[in-house]
Amino acid sequence: MVHVEINESGCRGCRMCVDICPTEVFEFDEPARKARVRESEDCIGCLSCSYLCPSKSITHSDFPVVKNFYRDLQFCRKKEAFL
Amino acid sequence: MENNKVRLNTDWLSACGGCHCAIVDLHEKILDVLGYVQIQRCPVLTDQKDYPPADVGILTGAIRNEHDRHAAEKMRKSCKSLIAFGTCAVYGGIPGAALAHTREELLDRAYRNNPTTETSVPPGEMIDSLEKIVTPIDEVVDVDLYLAGCPPHPTFIFDALLALIEGRAPKAQDQAVCAHCQRNMDRCDTDRIQSYHEGIPDPSLCLLSQGYVCLGSVTLDRCLAPCPKNGVPCTGCAGPTMEILTEPNRDIRTEVADRMARLTRLEQPVIIKAMERSAKSHYSYAMASRMIGEKSTFLIRKWIAEVEESL
Ligand code: SF4
Ligand code: SF4
Ligand code: SF4
Ligand code: SF4
Ligand code: SF4
Repeated sequence: MVHVEINESGCRGCRMCVDICPTEVFEFDEPARKARVRESEDCIGCLSCSYLCPSKSITHSDFPVVKNFYRDLQFCRKKEAFL
Repeated sequence: MENNKVRLNTDWLSACGGCHCAIVDLHEKILDVLGYVQIQRCPVLTDQKDYPPADVGILTGAIRNEHDRHAAEKMRKSCKSLIAFGTCAVYGGIPGAALAHTREELLDRAYRNNPTTETSVPPGEMIDSLEKIVTPIDEVVDVDLYLAGCPPHPTFIFDALLALIEGRAPKAQDQAVCAHCQRNMDRCDTDRIQSYHEGIPDPSLCLLSQGYVCLGSVTLDRCLAPCPKNGVPCTGCAGPTMEILTEPNRDIRTEVADRMARLTRLEQPVIIKAMERSAKSHYSYAMASRMIGEKSTFLIRKWIAEVEESL
């Protein structure tokens, strides 16, 4: 099952994840001005939130990996070596 | 004891020296590192001109002349693992941004008509001439690890060195600069793009919300966001985020415009049009690398090659 996590200190409170998620996985904590994961279980693994998040603070684990045919494969290999 | 230490060689190619200063900038933490590392060759710390056998090599800078090429090969031969250190080494960086000009223009600006010095002639035959283009080091020698940043913040350097010393796999963190920026990304009524020199930005509000084009959300965080924290929009000196590097259809201007449009009353096409006026500078730190140079949305490298061909 997909697990969604937000790195709290990295969240800038833009609400973009709340707006874009098709399955309302996120909710907004007004006093703290941060997004929170409401229900990880509802995530369909579309990764829209993780692409849109300006600080790249949303991570997913345990999602089914689909072969991404339009990626720059040369760089993907290099990415593993990034410190 | 000395024999158990990790032997380190460093060298700089076409670089500004900032990356080497950043290594020294570990301050007292350098003592922790020195407990484990024996610095053999390092242009700012030791007077070693040769390349003794080493476990780890740190190369800063890009390749623009015969000397750079030679030094990169010497480093590769002498070191078991080689780190491309700093944006110049990883993507071409600032020397790579010189691709936006012809070699003649560069020599003229630096030597003949330099507005800040009285030098009047380009260096003669004693010094290697400029190669046609700037080449990131991994196109010349094999590179084992990459640490972007201009320069990388000592926090990242320390973590990277420690991971190497402890023999654990380095973990790529791919957060963007916004992650360490303290500004709130609130929605505003802004309906105009502001130039960097206009007005004084609100210190607690995201610069995008205020109409300033900030590249924080499209830039890999290897700096802890000093620029936006101090009121200056990020210009992307650590190079683009992993998304932009790996996915050919993602582009700095469309990604920033998407987010800015969600935070302001500005329409995406208006933001894109405004950003295109400074298009040359968006990829300035990474334009020499093939990942960006061959991106379908990026044409600068092609334009430059055409100009160089015609000379
Ligand atoms: S998109 Fe990212 S920064 Fe914005 S609210 Fe969601 S987690 Fe926070
Ligand atoms: S991956 Fe898609 S479904 Fe899952 S939380 Fe993000 S936007 Fe929602
Ligand atoms: S990456 Fe930046 S700090 Fe490092 S050598 Fe290049 S220009 Fe200087
Ligand atoms: S876009 Fe710039 S100002 Fe806004 S949060 Fe990101 S780094 Fe900070
Ligand atoms: S320009 Fe951006 S990436 Fe470079 S130091 Fe400033 S905030 Fe960091």
